[in-house]
Amino acid sequence: MAGTDSRIGRPTAPTEASVMSLLEVTALDAGYGDMQVLHGVDIDVDDGEYVALVGPNGAGKSTAMKSIVGIATRMGGTITFDGTELTDLDPTGIVERGIGYVPQTANVFPSLTVEENLAVGGYQLGGLPDDRKAAVVEQFPVLEERLDQRAGNLSGGQQQMLAMARALIPEPRLLLLDEPSAGLAPDLVERMFDHIDAINDLGVTVLMVEQNAKTALRRCDRGYVLAQGENRYADDGDTLLNDPEVRRQFLGG
Amino acid sequence: MEIPLAQEVIFGLVIGSYIALGAVGFTLVYGLVNMINFAHGEFITIGAFAGYLAVVVAGLPLPVGILVALVATAVVGWGIARITFEPMNETGAVPLLMMSIGLGFVLRNGMRVIAGPSSRRVRLDVATYRFDDLGFFVTSQQLLIIGLALAAVVVMHLFLSRTMLGIAMRATSDNEDLALVSGIDTRRIRNAVWLAASGLAGVAGVMLALSQGANPTTGFGQLLLIITAAILGGAGSPYGAVVGAYLLGIGITVSVEFLPSGLTELNATMAFVVLIVVLLIRPGGIVNTEVRTS
Repeated sequence: MAGTDSRIGRPTAPTEASVMSLLEVTALDAGYGDMQVLHGVDIDVDDGEYVALVGPNGAGKSTAMKSIVGIATRMGGTITFDGTELTDLDPTGIVERGIGYVPQTANVFPSLTVEENLAVGGYQLGGLPDDRKAAVVEQFPVLEERLDQRAGNLSGGQQQMLAMARALIPEPRLLLLDEPSAGLAPDLVERMFDHIDAINDLGVTVLMVEQNAKTALRRCDRGYVLAQGENRYADDGDTLLNDPEVRRQFLGG
Repeated sequence: MEIPLAQEVIFGLVIGSYIALGAVGFTLVYGLVNMINFAHGEFITIGAFAGYLAVVVAGLPLPVGILVALVATAVVGWGIARITFEPMNETGAVPLLMMSIGLGFVLRNGMRVIAGPSSRRVRLDVATYRFDDLGFFVTSQQLLIIGLALAAVVVMHLFLSRTMLGIAMRATSDNEDLALVSGIDTRRIRNAVWLAASGLAGVAGVMLALSQGANPTTGFGQLLLIITAAILGGAGSPYGAVVGAYLLGIGITVSVEFLPSGLTELNATMAFVVLIVVLLIRPGGIVNTEVRTS
């Protein structure tokens, strides 16, 4: 997206960036403290792509996301974003380079108003620019009449939308979504995926973890199947969806 | 001698004022640095001595003296926290608590070595306004202390609700991990918290130097009341701390009315009776849910 580039402003863009993926996770070992969860995981995401990470509980999907954003312990391998090695950066520096992250739970600030939550998204911009506020409110109209409400008083679906809106304020190039449909009523699940499609259509690259694997693979460009902290399958979403082995092992037939 | 209730309320407002400024800083540190700072009383003592030095020794006008004490205590408190607490920030609440107890002891006795145990009063020309019909009086000094606290609370509110840094502070208090992945530099937030908490302690110290005098245990003597006010209001909530402080201050003075003479020394104990009752009924503090989430 325009604007992000100028803000990040690397003076000499390396030429190899054009042949590299936007995000390259290579042979990643990661976990929490001494407990290793991921064993040599590879994930590539191209600029503009919409990629889903699926797999059973405990596969390490969320750990992969947390490693990218710098809050899980990275034990080996590399994570490169737009040509920059993220391994030595703290979360502040990672957000600054254009990665937005929406955790699965506790993803809004409950005692802050909706507008203040959005303002937190603009922290690194020094405030909430009117055009950014207008842009995310247009994306999530449900927030407009609730700007002065406490986020803690919103419904689960509204909180999820607020969390995405907050992450979109600084115009990230890559948006990491951890289980965006978790805990939503069935009719809301499809609407949530519609929102994600719309975000991706605006040019934001999306990497999403989903428990709702069938819907996620149907919607995304490409998918990765993780199990027990390792890569199992990686292909186009539809290909994975129609692969008998993937269906049998991971999609319930 | 019978003291009218209105008079006790005024005394209570004065006590509540310096407890409030102490408790707001204490509770901000609790909510944002995740530690119980037992050395917070010493920051107040530093403010009391800074106020004494500025007004009495250097002869500065009172408003300038208050400002000097605020800035000096903010910088000194921040510096102390940078050297002692910040390097061990990741070690957790208990090591930080132990560090603060030790630090408080060292600072308290260090000041005793330098300044001696005697009390130094900041004396001003005090005007007394009598309202004989209503049975109470109020001095210019009491009005100054109450007014200062009111101004500090208004500034605190504007800071927390209108500035990016204030909103980021409240966000960090709500959910530090989410604040971090939202791009907030939580180290910068901690720096700001130490500056604010120490600055408020500095003003509370000047108030105490005015009303009771500055000595090495000036702040430590208030610590238990400060912690009580913070817990009473809901630990971590600056608005709750203000409410808790005034309830405590007025509770202490008004309870004298109802205690038999000879037992008036027990009035501070009454405050803790109130605390115990409140915690049994509302473990989160009086204003916890109302102020923090509504």
